[in-house]
Amino acid sequence: MSQPLLKVENLTKLFPVSKGFLRTPTDFIHAVDGINFEIQPGESLGLVGESGCGKSTTGRMLVKLMEASSGHVLMSDKTHTDDLIDIANIPNDQMKRFRRRVQMIFQDPYESMNPRRTVFETVSEPLTVQNIGSLKEREERVSEMLRLVGLAPPDAFLFRYPHELSGGQRQRVAIARALVLDPSFVVADEPTSMLDVSIRISIMDLMLKLADEFDVSYLYITHDLAVARYMCDRIAVMYLGKIVEIGDTEEILGNPQHPYTKALLSAVPVPDPSFKREEVEILGGITKAINPPSECRFIERCPWAKDVCRTSDHPPLEDKGDGHYVACHLVESALTSA
Amino acid sequence: MSRPLLEVDHLVMNYTTEKGDVSAIQDVSFTLNEGESLGLVGESGCGKTSIAMSLLRLVAENARFDSGEIRLDGTDLLSLTDEEMRQRRWNDISMVFQGAMNAWNPVYKVGDQIREAMDLHFHPRLSNAEVEARISKLFELVGLNPAMMNRYPHEFSGGMRQRAIIAMALSCDPKIIIADEPTTALDVIVQDQILQELKKIQADLGMSIIYISHDIAVIAEVTDKIGVMYAGKLVELGSTREVFARPRHPYAFLLLSSTPSVTGPRRKLAPLEGEPPDLLNPPTGCRFHPRCPYATDQCATDEPPMEDAGDGHQVACWNWKEVPELGGLTK
Ligand SMILES: Nc1ncnc2c1ncn2[C@@H]1O[C@H](COP(=O)(O)OP(=O)(O)OP(=O)(O)O)[C@@H](O)[C@H]1O
Ligand SMILES: Nc1ncnc2c1ncn2[C@@H]1O[C@H](COP(=O)(O)OP(=O)(O)OP(=O)(O)O)[C@@H](O)[C@H]1O
Ligand code: SF4
Ligand code: SF4
Ligand SMILES: [Mg+2]
Ligand SMILES: [Mg+2]
Repeated sequence: MSQPLLKVENLTKLFPVSKGFLRTPTDFIHAVDGINFEIQPGESLGLVGESGCGKSTTGRMLVKLMEASSGHVLMSDKTHTDDLIDIANIPNDQMKRFRRRVQMIFQDPYESMNPRRTVFETVSEPLTVQNIGSLKEREERVSEMLRLVGLAPPDAFLFRYPHELSGGQRQRVAIARALVLDPSFVVADEPTSMLDVSIRISIMDLMLKLADEFDVSYLYITHDLAVARYMCDRIAVMYLGKIVEIGDTEEILGNPQHPYTKALLSAVPVPDPSFKREEVEILGGITKAINPPSECRFIERCPWAKDVCRTSDHPPLEDKGDGHYVACHLVESALTSA
Repeated sequence: MSRPLLEVDHLVMNYTTEKGDVSAIQDVSFTLNEGESLGLVGESGCGKTSIAMSLLRLVAENARFDSGEIRLDGTDLLSLTDEEMRQRRWNDISMVFQGAMNAWNPVYKVGDQIREAMDLHFHPRLSNAEVEARISKLFELVGLNPAMMNRYPHEFSGGMRQRAIIAMALSCDPKIIIADEPTTALDVIVQDQILQELKKIQADLGMSIIYISHDIAVIAEVTDKIGVMYAGKLVELGSTREVFARPRHPYAFLLLSSTPSVTGPRRKLAPLEGEPPDLLNPPTGCRFHPRCPYATDQCATDEPPMEDAGDGHQVACWNWKEVPELGGLTK
């Protein structure tokens, strides 16, 4: 396989659970707990899972909006060498370049724009910060971006304020801003979940088209598997800080292996009343990984847990063929005993 | 089985505002039969909650009913006195309000809040012990441990809070429950569990339910009948199976074509261009005409009436015969 754009190694984020002032915390939420994956240039990886499983925390660490507790995020930097560099060790004089190459799009189109800034100010700000172009060149670039994201004619939008835009239009502005510097990697954190269906598709199509044109890679965060299917080449399923399954989108949806993925998939409502879903059992359980035990993170909710699950550590992600990785003791034994 | 229980008949409701009237419900008619579940689906702002609140007569103060009737068992609810309506609320029709799971009062136990609602509304006066037994039964029905009734809202997860809201809506034994976005803020596994439970409760108790959701996949899961709304109008009404297999209205057709699914072939979706209109100034003629790929001259001037497209499947569109088959969606 070619050199990845991004390589995540044992990435971990622990949040202390505060128990009063001046006390050293002893309890930690394992928001992201030793995850590993790669993203290829131009590829879009979907990160799915329930609320609180660590999706946003992962995304924030990848763009350096949050520091990792341990582990590494390595990124390729074609202009220097072919080596991957650890984003934690980027020298100050190269931070600007990093900021230019990675961008983030947030969920809430209402919060992603400063209410006192015009569309032009919002979209041109990254150019200004990076000292790119004259004012006139920036104006041209911003107009071009607005046209690309479907805000045309640009003159009608350049000097509008957020309150003069709809939710869909605001999210288009956020996308224009994220892509104005021609980044190679974008973390999109639920970019369409606050939008109406009819607008959702045009935003998703826009992101796909721009990815194609500019060769952008996405980490696409969503709780909606149907959306992930539409947007992503591969899907990673997260459960309480761990990636439990990862692989090609159609493989994960057509041949899910991990008990959690199966339960998640079977719970997705299907816009087809004649479709009969398979019922997959799942038990109730904790929703926050505070000082989790070393066994499988899913054990409390897993109807199939066996002795091996209780006596072993959390299973590692293992390749079951064709890049389909699963972290479950039983999937492994099922394959070996077959 | 099916006797009409609730009949909404040419209902027109406007909100009076400084800027003019907001046309939130424009000539809406539908029937809900005994034991039936009806889904109302449409984008944000199309008037779903306005209809729900009208059925309970709990609309905002600036709401104005201009014409039409809402008949429950033949009686027009709009002609009742406030006191007569109060008697019917919760006992005949109750509601799971949009966002209600976040509206529990944090300082009272959940069971006490349900008890208070029952004291206010439930007809047969019950003793304390009877109320407690009833709440206990309701908790079991919605999949909560009855011991939870002595706990405070913050001790409930989101899904548990919503289950308790459903228990409250069931507390006065209504004939009809209106569930306004009952699972929207919940994770998909919890959503599925709650929807399956609602389905079961409905069947067991023989209730009628009106589900309101912007998510047509949710509506597909739980309803017998579906009404598609656009900009204050009901544009298509029919059996859920029929409408999903063969949407007749261009908006319903595009809505279904633009909904991604985890099943079926992976396909290109058709985006709906443009945005829903401002109901202060709704478009003339057909309200969908500025966005409609099938629009003809007539659509900009004449409002299309509801027309029968066969099998009780109704559609409000001049050109519904031009709308193609939905390729691939239901295979
Ligand atoms: N700044 C923080 N301080 C303390 N705990 C945090 C912080 N940010 C996140 N957490 C906790 O870390 C866990 C993961 O949170 P995260 O926001 O990454 O989840 P998520 O998968 O993005 O969820 P959602 O789908 O609700 O957005 C949660 O238990 C959350 O409460
Ligand atoms: N009290 C009010 N005064 C004026 N306009 C109102 C009032 N309440 C609602 N509206 C408007 O009436 C229209 C219908 O609103 P409604 O809440 O019924 O929509 P909805 O379909 O439930 O939307 P959502 O999916 O966002 O909940 C919207 O345009 C809304 O802005
Ligand atoms: S390892 Fe065991 S407990 Fe964990 S998911 Fe697999 S079967 Fe269930
Ligand atoms: S009446 Fe005309 S504009 Fe309205 S939906 Fe039908 S074709 Fe489109
Ligand atoms: Mg998040
Ligand atoms: Mg509403």
